[in-house]
Amino acid sequence: MKRTPHLTAGVASVILLVAGMTGFNYYAGSLESKYIHALGSLDLQQTRNGIALQQAAFQQPDLLPIYGSSEITMVDTPYQANIFFDTYPSGFAAIDIANLGMSSITMAQNLAAVGPAIRGKKVVISITPAPFTMGALSEQYYAGNYTRLHAYEMIYSPYLSLDTKSAAAKRMLEFPATLQADPFLKLTLSALNRPSPVRLFYYIAWPFGELQTIVMRLQDHAAVIAYLQSHPLRAEVSRQPRAIDWPGTLAAASQEQKLHTLNNPYGVEDTKWKNYQQLLANPIIPGSGDSRFVRNVQGAREWDDLKILLGVLRELGAKPLILSRPMNVHLWEALGVSEQAQNTFYTKLQDVSAPYNVLVVDYREYGTDIYFSIDQAAHTSRKGWVHVDQTLDDFFHGRIQQP
Amino acid sequence: MWIKRLTTFFTDAYNNPSTKTILLVLYYLAIIAGLIAMYGKGDFSTAKFVYQGF
Repeated sequence: MKRTPHLTAGVASVILLVAGMTGFNYYAGSLESKYIHALGSLDLQQTRNGIALQQAAFQQPDLLPIYGSSEITMVDTPYQANIFFDTYPSGFAAIDIANLGMSSITMAQNLAAVGPAIRGKKVVISITPAPFTMGALSEQYYAGNYTRLHAYEMIYSPYLSLDTKSAAAKRMLEFPATLQADPFLKLTLSALNRPSPVRLFYYIAWPFGELQTIVMRLQDHAAVIAYLQSHPLRAEVSRQPRAIDWPGTLAAASQEQKLHTLNNPYGVEDTKWKNYQQLLANPIIPGSGDSRFVRNVQGAREWDDLKILLGVLRELGAKPLILSRPMNVHLWEALGVSEQAQNTFYTKLQDVSAPYNVLVVDYREYGTDIYFSIDQAAHTSRKGWVHVDQTLDDFFHGRIQQP
Repeated sequence: MWIKRLTTFFTDAYNNPSTKTILLVLYYLAIIAGLIAMYGKGDFSTAKFVYQGF
């Protein structure tokens, strides 16, 4: 028999390496599951930019992940869901996977990366009218929330349809700065977006992309373990079940909100009012901004991104709640957009989401409540947060019905 | 003297097929471990930006 010591040793090394990586994967997974309740409330970058902790959160029956943007993070208040439910008053805690400027396409990448862990699981998608009514997604915001791991997970996902991946690829190619250092991914995205036979390159690239994804997943686990080693934590969290006094909480939050909006009649947060003073310095004809507003809403690219996000959620079998925020009616009216024109947002939201058969809460009834939002972009106020908390509580306990 | 004995030990070990394979496996694993130590740390940071609202 021909002796092949290098081949034998090489094969044995690969087997040992795969076994070691599998063992590490399980070890890391068990640690993440053990500590996710404690880690979830810390707003770690690794939670947002990795996937291991998000997957661990979805495995827990008492954690409700909320994906969103500035409406989640902007107002620092104890009424924010992750703080309000921190002690599991009604049996669950909310975990934020949110960042300033996070858009639907970023959330889609994030959730695609979590993969089958979200099958049958409740998840909240928080949105505001702002990206649908006030301009296109900034390249800076996209880049500031872009992670290579999420992009690879989405594009090489075996759980998503080619149509969804192609739509995502097309959009991702519109942000070339994020792909500059990654020609392999850029080439794959281009191939995915072309008809056959160019698309064949996607299939050729797939094993290599998947291999790269596996490496990044392991790095994600390693980053979590490194954090746990450098920040000793107690896995147990405080749980204090209690009946929530919603009317009392709402009254307290409302009172508190009023104290932060003393310098204007529109309920705008005092610190933000200076942004509007100049805009409102000269009289604005009512309805003068209607046609532009409607044009912006109808043509917003964010709707396409929302469709990609809803497609990802449907294909992964999640049970999402699309939690919008109301138009800040009186402030928009003062800026020349009638309430009728503002309603275009709600109509379009319903039209876009209806085919996906998802729960949508838009709080339209609170549009004229000047204390629900702190500004034109509908960033949630202290009072608004109490309404949001109540909705989250109802959603978690199955008290919101499918439309 | 001890150098000679050590050299003999390794030469004998390397001439034994089983020991040679084990040594090679250890050698390859050491290389892999080195590569992991050098390149194993992932970068999960995102580009810095100034949030200016909408």
